[in-house]
Amino acid sequence: MSAAPLLEMEDVRAGYGPTSVLHGISLSVPEGEIVSLLGANGAGKTTTLRAITSGVHWSGHIRFAGKSLSKMRTEDVVRSGIAHVPEGRGILTELTVEENLKLGSHLRRDGAAVRKDYDRVFEYFPVLRERRRLSASTLSGGEQQMLAVARALLMRPKLMLLDEPSLGLAPMIVRSIFEIIKAINQADRVAVLLVEQNARLALDISSQAYVLEVGRIAVKGASAELQGNESVRRSYLGY
Amino acid sequence: MLQRIRNAPPRYWLVVVVILFFVGWPTVISSFQTSEWSQAIILAIAIMGLNILVGYSGQLSLGHGAFMALGAYTSAILAHRYKVDYLVTIPIAGVLTGLVGFLFGVPALRLSPLYLALATFALAVVTPSLIKRPAELTGGVQGISLTPPDPPQFAADGFGALTGTVMTSDQWIYYVSLAYALLLFWLAWNLVRHRSGRAMRAIRDGEVAAAASGVNIAGYKTLAFGISALYAGIAGSLFGLATSFVSPDTFPVSLSIQLLVGAVVGGLASIPGPLVGGIFAYFLPIESNQWVPAQTWIPSQIASAVVKAGPAVSYGVVLILIMIFAPNGIVGLITTGYTRLRRRLRGAADREAGQMPPDPQTIS
Amino acid sequence: MQGLLQQVISGIATGGIFASLALALVLIYNAMGLVNFAQGEMAMLATFVAFTLIEHGMSYWIAFPVSLVIAFAGGILIQRIVIRPIERAPILTMVIVTLGLATLVNGLAGFIFGYVPRSFPSPFSVQTVDILGAFVSYRDIGVIAVSAVVLLAIYLLLQRTTVGLTLRAAAHHPEASRLLGVQVSWMLALGWGLASAVGAVSGIMAAPILLLEPNMMQTIIIYAFAAAVLGGIESPLGAVVGGLIVGVTVNLAGTYLPFVGGDLQLAVALAIIVGVLILKPNGLFGRPSVRRV
Repeated sequence: MSAAPLLEMEDVRAGYGPTSVLHGISLSVPEGEIVSLLGANGAGKTTTLRAITSGVHWSGHIRFAGKSLSKMRTEDVVRSGIAHVPEGRGILTELTVEENLKLGSHLRRDGAAVRKDYDRVFEYFPVLRERRRLSASTLSGGEQQMLAVARALLMRPKLMLLDEPSLGLAPMIVRSIFEIIKAINQADRVAVLLVEQNARLALDISSQAYVLEVGRIAVKGASAELQGNESVRRSYLGY
Repeated sequence: MLQRIRNAPPRYWLVVVVILFFVGWPTVISSFQTSEWSQAIILAIAIMGLNILVGYSGQLSLGHGAFMALGAYTSAILAHRYKVDYLVTIPIAGVLTGLVGFLFGVPALRLSPLYLALATFALAVVTPSLIKRPAELTGGVQGISLTPPDPPQFAADGFGALTGTVMTSDQWIYYVSLAYALLLFWLAWNLVRHRSGRAMRAIRDGEVAAAASGVNIAGYKTLAFGISALYAGIAGSLFGLATSFVSPDTFPVSLSIQLLVGAVVGGLASIPGPLVGGIFAYFLPIESNQWVPAQTWIPSQIASAVVKAGPAVSYGVVLILIMIFAPNGIVGLITTGYTRLRRRLRGAADREAGQMPPDPQTIS
Repeated sequence: MQGLLQQVISGIATGGIFASLALALVLIYNAMGLVNFAQGEMAMLATFVAFTLIEHGMSYWIAFPVSLVIAFAGGILIQRIVIRPIERAPILTMVIVTLGLATLVNGLAGFIFGYVPRSFPSPFSVQTVDILGAFVSYRDIGVIAVSAVVLLAIYLLLQRTTVGLTLRAAAHHPEASRLLGVQVSWMLALGWGLASAVGAVSGIMAAPILLLEPNMMQTIIIYAFAAAVLGGIESPLGAVVGGLIVGVTVNLAGTYLPFVGGDLQLAVALAIIVGVLILKPNGLFGRPSVRRV
């Protein structure tokens, strides 16, 4: 008996003003699993994540832990247990590294667990501890990505939405971030919806995958199967 | 020629009707009331100037009262001290104020709209003190009194022949103001329609894009400042004529606010807007004191409260409500209403439904 | 020499008044990119509230914080009712609305309290005490002390508490803050409440000196503008430093420059504003503004 998925999107359409970007997509993220959302630029991957956190107008059905997300404000969606690391990372550059992290944990009431999580965060990303009193604007791209993921971890969400964590980063940093995402997923049972252009990396750590093409789901299935299927790889994933 | 008259859109006929109304109006109202309407028209001229700056070129000035003061005092000093014929001083005052405005426009270029508002607001507050200081020239706190001119022979004759009554000084001043208003409104209309107007609107709607299209941003923005100051200067000069008196207290910061209220209520970035705005800005405080208590259907407590609270509260409330509900002012409401009505009558789908309300700078 | 010291200290006291109002302006500017032209009038109204409380028997030191709380609530109310509907409107609209608000509040005060100037009680006597040979009034010392306490309290609130952190986050990065669960809309209201309370301090400190009447704050707001612009409109520290500099400069100019005298001190403020905007538009502590997310 499989439990109901943590996140369910059914026939979701979304767009900006008169332009429609998503033409009725359906996907689901089971509890504790990592799911990839792949596709070329402009396919609608970012819009999908934005729809979940009410950053864009959408129609259809989106349910999180059984509750509909329709008509909810962004901050309320987030407060119900979804952390969204957006394109561009959403770092608050006017604040320090430490203040950014504190904004991750500011909603939590479990003091002891929060302190433990800070320890883990600094273990994963030692550079954050070194630079914690500095302005977040002094961090490099890779370090900002680490801060964004660390901050999301501190939120102890049930679901993490990651928008292209590899974008603009050196391969070694990308690899370490992906390892940490996997570690977080396994340690805390945090579900992840991972939007990525780097299909190979994404399929490596995820259990399921969807491929978006021009606003529609073109392919879906277990990551291992997609990886094994050469024609899918060639037509949709670029390798 | 006849063909063109027949094909003229209904808007042009409306303009003709309005002009005829204003030309004939003094013949049916008292001389005192004529003087009031003069002042409303004069305010409309100043508001038109402000509108060119704010509505069409997107620069916010809260200090146009100061420009009016400059125009008024220029005329008053020339007339009183140097015995220049007052009517001659009007264009002089206008040009001088326009030049000063143009010079103002140069440093203003470097200020964001917010800072410009701040700086001009400070200017408006300081203006009365600045006027009082050179007391020898400006008459200090006591101001300068002027004698209202008698209507010249040709005007008195013409008026007498048409209406059978003797033209009063107030009526003459009214027609002078009206003439300037017609001239300046017509000039503004042309400005807006032609290249300078389009350039200004391009700047207002997006400086970066305008610059990319080759528009001379600095030139047009300072030009807008100069022209708008010219209008205010002429208005100030006429104002001195209409009230026969100028003093530092005639130009407090509330005057600049009054001009802004008029511009916004009438409708920014529209030609008829300032006229509506001028009438509104002038008569609202007067009417709220007189008309409201006379209405028997308004409970007396509310009426007395309105009178006591005075124009300030009414202005404030009106300004806020208009910006929230009708950012394009009364003229905007009418035009939108009219367009919607026309569309519905012709059966076309209302494409505007469901969109965000326009910001104040989109109607042209 | 003593005369100079006296004027400087006196200038610091008025500077404290300017700094409080300037800080209020900076708080709202940081939250919305908007200069609240109604800040002075709101402060004036709060001062009238304090006056009424004192008239009805409340002691000064109780009426003071009570009025601040009322001002705080008033600021939140104004944000919810008047400002929120136009949140996404262009700057021009928002400036005009604050001007309308200023006119409205001024008229309201005139309506409720009338235009007759009243004397406002001060807990500090005007007696002077000898400091280093200069005669400094207790009142000046009191104003400096109260301003310092209030400004320090705001600093601690913003920099050391979680609420202050979410306020700053919402002000500088509204969209990114939403994604962290910050209720940005309420933070804006909170910012307005805080600004209103800080501005009220300015009014209550100024009233004993100026006489309480509806137009009381109209000149102070200009000095506060000068202070905020000089310090850098985004910098709370700048507001404080700017306020002190403006206070001292205007006082010294009024005393020692014969052509300035008492009535043209305001023109000095105007000169400061224009000078700063032309020479160093970001002020002493401001940074060139960056697009916020």
